[in-house]
Amino acid sequence: MAGVVIENLSTKKLMGIVVLLLLIQIACFLVGGLIAPSPTSAHTHLATKCIDPAISLQKAFVPHGPNACSKVSTFAEATEKNIEADWIVFSIMMPHRPNRMDRSFQYMLGVLSLDIVYKEDNEMGDEPELTILVEMMYNNDDNAQGEWKKMYSINETRKLNCEFFHQKSPEAEGYSYDCEPIPLFELGTVHHKYYLLNIRLPVWEVDPDTQEVVRELNTNLGAVQELSVVEIHQNGGFTLVWLTLKTALFPLVILAMIWFWKRIVQLARPPVLLERTILALAITISILNLPLEWLTFFHDMPYMLLLSDIRQGACYAMLFSFWIIFVGEHMMDQQERNRLRVYWRQVGSMTLGCMCLFVFDVVERGVQLTNPFYSLWNTETGRRLAMIFVVLAGICAFLYTIFLIFMVYGVFKNISMKRAALPHMVAARRLHYEGLIYRFRFFMIFTLICAVMTAIFFIFSQINEGNWKWGEDKHNIQYSSAFFTGVYGMWNVYVLAVLMLYAPSHKNKPTLQNGDTSEGSQVEFEMSTNVSSTAPSTSAALNPSGAASQAGTSEVYQLLGKVAND
Amino acid sequence: METCTNSLSSNSPSASPCKNMTSNRRSQTSWKISRRFSRLLCRPSMTILSNALILLWTFVGILSPSFTRAQDTTWINLGLDTRVQQFDAFRNPELFILGTQPLCSELLGLSPGQQKLCQLYQDHMAPIGEGAKMSIDECQNQFTNRRWNCSTVDSNNVFGKVLSISSREAAFTYAITSAGVVNAISRSCREGQLSTCGCGKSPRPPDIPRDWVWGGCGDNIDYGFRFAREFVDAREMETNPQRGSFAYDRMKMNLHNNEAGRKAVYDNAGTECKCHGVSGSCSLKTCWLQLSPFNRVGTILKDKYDGATNVRVNKKGRLVNSDARFNKPTRDDLVYLQPSPDYCLPDIQTGSLGTTGRECNKTSMGTDGCTLMCCGRGYNSFTKEVVERCKCKFKWCCYVKCRKCRTLVDVHVCK
Repeated sequence: MAGVVIENLSTKKLMGIVVLLLLIQIACFLVGGLIAPSPTSAHTHLATKCIDPAISLQKAFVPHGPNACSKVSTFAEATEKNIEADWIVFSIMMPHRPNRMDRSFQYMLGVLSLDIVYKEDNEMGDEPELTILVEMMYNNDDNAQGEWKKMYSINETRKLNCEFFHQKSPEAEGYSYDCEPIPLFELGTVHHKYYLLNIRLPVWEVDPDTQEVVRELNTNLGAVQELSVVEIHQNGGFTLVWLTLKTALFPLVILAMIWFWKRIVQLARPPVLLERTILALAITISILNLPLEWLTFFHDMPYMLLLSDIRQGACYAMLFSFWIIFVGEHMMDQQERNRLRVYWRQVGSMTLGCMCLFVFDVVERGVQLTNPFYSLWNTETGRRLAMIFVVLAGICAFLYTIFLIFMVYGVFKNISMKRAALPHMVAARRLHYEGLIYRFRFFMIFTLICAVMTAIFFIFSQINEGNWKWGEDKHNIQYSSAFFTGVYGMWNVYVLAVLMLYAPSHKNKPTLQNGDTSEGSQVEFEMSTNVSSTAPSTSAALNPSGAASQAGTSEVYQLLGKVAND
Repeated sequence: METCTNSLSSNSPSASPCKNMTSNRRSQTSWKISRRFSRLLCRPSMTILSNALILLWTFVGILSPSFTRAQDTTWINLGLDTRVQQFDAFRNPELFILGTQPLCSELLGLSPGQQKLCQLYQDHMAPIGEGAKMSIDECQNQFTNRRWNCSTVDSNNVFGKVLSISSREAAFTYAITSAGVVNAISRSCREGQLSTCGCGKSPRPPDIPRDWVWGGCGDNIDYGFRFAREFVDAREMETNPQRGSFAYDRMKMNLHNNEAGRKAVYDNAGTECKCHGVSGSCSLKTCWLQLSPFNRVGTILKDKYDGATNVRVNKKGRLVNSDARFNKPTRDDLVYLQPSPDYCLPDIQTGSLGTTGRECNKTSMGTDGCTLMCCGRGYNSFTKEVVERCKCKFKWCCYVKCRKCRTLVDVHVCK
């Protein structure tokens, strides 16, 4: 990969490109920070306690409106009226009146939280388990007047993690347990206008065949007072900004990619590994950029969440592979590389890690397509399995990091070695090594800046997120949105920069016009930077040191030999 | 509610510091309010209309003597007023279909500004009433063991004349009722009862972010906080006493304690978060506020009551600690201007009901102990049979079976 654009670019032009990319980057940040609302929002829905003496699972219980169910406001009232526990239906209609759901919300998550108070004669038992019968319905009529259509009817059991911070005494009656919120459902699409949840906490488990009571359920929950569901979705405003950003970046990267590949094709030699990797990187990020999500406005596509997770995962995997290959191809240790096989350890560990997450995701999100209340984390075996996946992925990530650090260290060692030898080199050869070093350093600095920026933004947005409740004086800048659009834009800019700056240069290297010696050193560079092994055999024949390098002699020897030759 | 064992009705002429509000001052106030509301309405055409209406109403207000009579009554009265239920949009949707404006002027205890808010946000009145009731209950719950037990009296002024003294007790009641409103409004929001706190297209009160396909909606607690500030403080804001007067000091004190109460709810709301990034990672995290149980808020405010700061208003009109050695009170602290009476004996002047007839704990050395509670007057003891439910077999909500148990309890009652 001799003579890439960045080496031959004048400072002026380089600055031009950098400024252009920087502008794109800043625009991405501003769009997120100033135009977009926060990426997601949570809306708490306190359940209305409907009464269903018939215990019929067919009917829809609506909390308000003309078809509102009969309800009690507290359980004390229910106790007075001799209402039994399994008559209670917790009814939640989403969203709150007078709104309706919007298709731009993309996905919807539900988190269940229970308000349980301490009562001396109705204490919470050890390891309480919550069994719920949930029915999810939707309605597309205006003002939710029409019939509710059933989506899911599911029986789920979840562990309840609660703590009580007071001394358990008569004085503490009426104080609440601190319960962890329970993930309830994840819908990959918000296609309908209104959603209705009917949640029951059954008291008996009945055998469906014999109609006999098998066991008691929900016995040690304690005194449940309220049930609420927090509904989380992506904000429509954010979705629009996000999709617009994707739509704008998509053709940009595609154009740069076409230009890059044209340059490669124009070369006399077949593309080398690094060039193919860059192309692959551009393709994966283009797939990620492809604004498929616009289709969700017209079609119900619950698999979109899974699809975008896969696209994003593929993009990460490609980026990580690219780093390894880029660093490896700049090793400058005369070793024959240019084949993916050489990097099997690094790429393999990374692929394995990504595969783990992929399998995890496919299982979790895949099952959620049919049962949105499912989560691997809910059951004991599932949790173990999920843990195995996550730990394995973690180990792979760790291995990858070690490999990468080791390789970068190797490159820097070689660079410093080359640097020491630079003054003794022929001008052409020196120029070439300098070019290599410059190319690598530029890449390293650029990558490092991007990575560090991502980390900083991430931490910043997390801190901001953690402290958001103190934002009593509401600021108009949405840090989280800026983080997402900014970082997304940054990696696009990164790929754009790599495509533009690491494309083969049209300009002839000045070294080539310096006579035979330079041609000779050129060959050696070609070898060391791993132009394909079928590198111009004519020029190799011109120089004996070419053969020496193929024999795999040590670098120092080679350099010395080179000097002797000159 | 039965904690008030010794309720007396006090109908004596009051010496309230708030009494001396003149009509002149009120007209100034109305202008201030009209500016506030024009902000509230947010539409220029409406603003002109509302200004005209308010102007008209101001004159009516000056002429009508009904407001001066309701001087001592505060909005807390809504906690005891069943009429407030008629504002419940949930139960009476036809009210809003007909566009009738029921009752806002009939509700006792609303100041002119609050009446205006009542008309603008009618569905908020039922939650405000609930909030007031909840805070009265919590106040009584917190003060069962004190000489002053937050007893309500049968006058329009819920807590009786006790509040006319700028004491710790007044500070507490202002704070807890204000907290109750934040709590109740936020709760109603979560139940979907209020149309303005959701992310709808209906006009939202000022300073609350607008929605951008739901992105810009504030939190429910945030909404409750801001609405409570508008509503509860309206009463204080529209009196415009001269700086240096006692009424001014009292206004400052009330505003401070209202804020402290609201902040107690806001600051003690727990943050819950859910991670839902790629593969469930925390790259994307959504957080929301969870209302703290109101008894926790009550406990916190009770602690603040015990550590309340005696303040005075300095020349700049700011509250400073009356003991110059200490720092000025923070926004979370309760402040008071005058020492409390001892509440031992019934006193028409202070509105104290006395502790005669109160139950006390013979063995306790604390404030619920007979020595302290009965102020050294001694106590009568007798044995009482109590019948209560016991050995209940519970399902998670409603009990299935209970037995009745009889127990004998020694009761001590102050002389």
